[in-house]
Amino acid sequence: MSAPDLIALLPLLIVAATTLAAMLLIAFYRHHQATAGVTVAGLLLALASLSLTTPHIPRVVTPLLVVDGYALFFLGLVLATTAVVTALSYRYLEPAAENVEEYYLLLLMGALGGGVLISARHFVSFFLGLELLSVSLYTLVAYTRSQSHRIEAGLKYLILAGTASAFLLFGLALVYAEQGHLVFEDVVLSDPSLFLLSGMGLLIVGVAFKLALAPFHLWTPDVYQGAPAPVTAFVATVSKGAVFALLFRFFGGVRIAEQPALLAAFGAIAILSMLAGNLLALVQDNVKRILAYSSIAHLGYLTIAFLVGGELGQTAAAFYLAIYFVTTLTAFGVVTWLSTAEEEAEALDDYRGLFRRSPHLAGIFTVALLSLAGIPPTAGLISKVYVALAGVSVSLWAPLLVLVAGSVAGVFYYMRIVITMWRDPAGDEQAVSFSAGHAPAGYLILNGLTLALLALGVYPFFLIQIIERALGAGG
Amino acid sequence: MASVPIEHALILAGVLFILGLTGVIVRRNIFFILLSIEIMLNAAGLAFVAAGARWGAADGQVMFIFILTMAAAEVSVGLALVLRLVGRFRTLDVDAASQLRG
Repeated sequence: MSAPDLIALLPLLIVAATTLAAMLLIAFYRHHQATAGVTVAGLLLALASLSLTTPHIPRVVTPLLVVDGYALFFLGLVLATTAVVTALSYRYLEPAAENVEEYYLLLLMGALGGGVLISARHFVSFFLGLELLSVSLYTLVAYTRSQSHRIEAGLKYLILAGTASAFLLFGLALVYAEQGHLVFEDVVLSDPSLFLLSGMGLLIVGVAFKLALAPFHLWTPDVYQGAPAPVTAFVATVSKGAVFALLFRFFGGVRIAEQPALLAAFGAIAILSMLAGNLLALVQDNVKRILAYSSIAHLGYLTIAFLVGGELGQTAAAFYLAIYFVTTLTAFGVVTWLSTAEEEAEALDDYRGLFRRSPHLAGIFTVALLSLAGIPPTAGLISKVYVALAGVSVSLWAPLLVLVAGSVAGVFYYMRIVITMWRDPAGDEQAVSFSAGHAPAGYLILNGLTLALLALGVYPFFLIQIIERALGAGG
Repeated sequence: MASVPIEHALILAGVLFILGLTGVIVRRNIFFILLSIEIMLNAAGLAFVAAGARWGAADGQVMFIFILTMAAAEVSVGLALVLRLVGRFRTLDVDAASQLRG
């Protein structure tokens, strides 16, 4: 392995090294703040190393990994998201009486798994990245012993994700039996054999499980509700974003719209996800469950960009994912701020009178919800329109119709949360303190994310240019 | 040496996979669910070895070793959760833990 190879892998190597450093630190000196500090520092260092990597792309490092503009963009997104989740977790875990340091190790390993997935071009790296991410998540979901529904959420996630992994592996084995090698390449489905067809089918089931697309979405609300709030944010962003990035890489240059079998499968999944997500969210009275169903719907919208494929589809998907990451982090950031490891603020009633108790926090939550609903002047509108325009270019009328109908239904349940925040408090809720003095990192991040949502809603071209440049550089 | 046709090996793997899947769906005891997942993973491993034999390459066997490693990691996390399930509910029945709707 030559020096440029190592430089190309630098971001992943730094995350791996940080994991080891944090593990050694915990062994010698158990200290919450120090561990969180090392984690954030490592993630920021890895982010900074992206600029060192840029001159060397695109580069295939061993048969397993490829580092190109596309990988670097998503890697940056994953690393920044993990840093934000770490900062949010710190305040959440601080009051917990038990050992919380290992939590950060698991976050780092999850980020590493996401990074490997994003740059995978081989079945082995695909599998290793996915499992590194999943096994970390099983543990994170069940983290903090205090609540019994953590165990339930952890077990459900373990069983269903394990089953999904088995589907995925069996699918990969059948594709390998047909293809004869393990490197991703354009799948030829013009005259598929039985092996290849069933292999692709199993593969799609496995990936849809991981992305929580209908009809394989049943685990999502329970895991979202049962997991600690910052972990939910991590599951909703990093885990799904990385698998989605991989999906694009796997199907590479294939124009899905020109492959009837794939178009039918993914079109049905997109429509079902948008319907199931939006309709079931209407009847929930738990904020985390509403956000879970909303994420199912959003992944459905995103699948439309995947159906478009090609450069337009990739740009639309990258833009949508970036905005979705920022919005989801903001929304779960507010939930995390109101929760502690002992007591989650998840019932709709916990949000009653939030506008009176903390107008600032309620304002931030409102911006995030408006962005999820796709209402101007937030960035959520722009990303949804971008995906819709990409869909129009290849005449995907049926999914687009569902997208519009789903967005209308979405307004109802997002507005329900906003209206609840305006209502009078149920009783003795005390004011929520939201100030920089209490936890400066979380405060700055929440305000920064909100500003980003508004700024990108008014002037999105900045981000679009970054994406086009990244994808242009060998994407 | 007479070789086994690839179809036979893959059909065997498919049967094992479906047996495992049935176990995951039907069983309520957490140990048997974890065992069934293991059977599904090993069915995928068998399919990889058979596919590797078809192409005369070691890739399938390498993949099988990775699957074994990952299954061990997964089951260690699973058993840790089982310990906590037993500690809290005094049962191995997964239906005991169903406070979350759905």
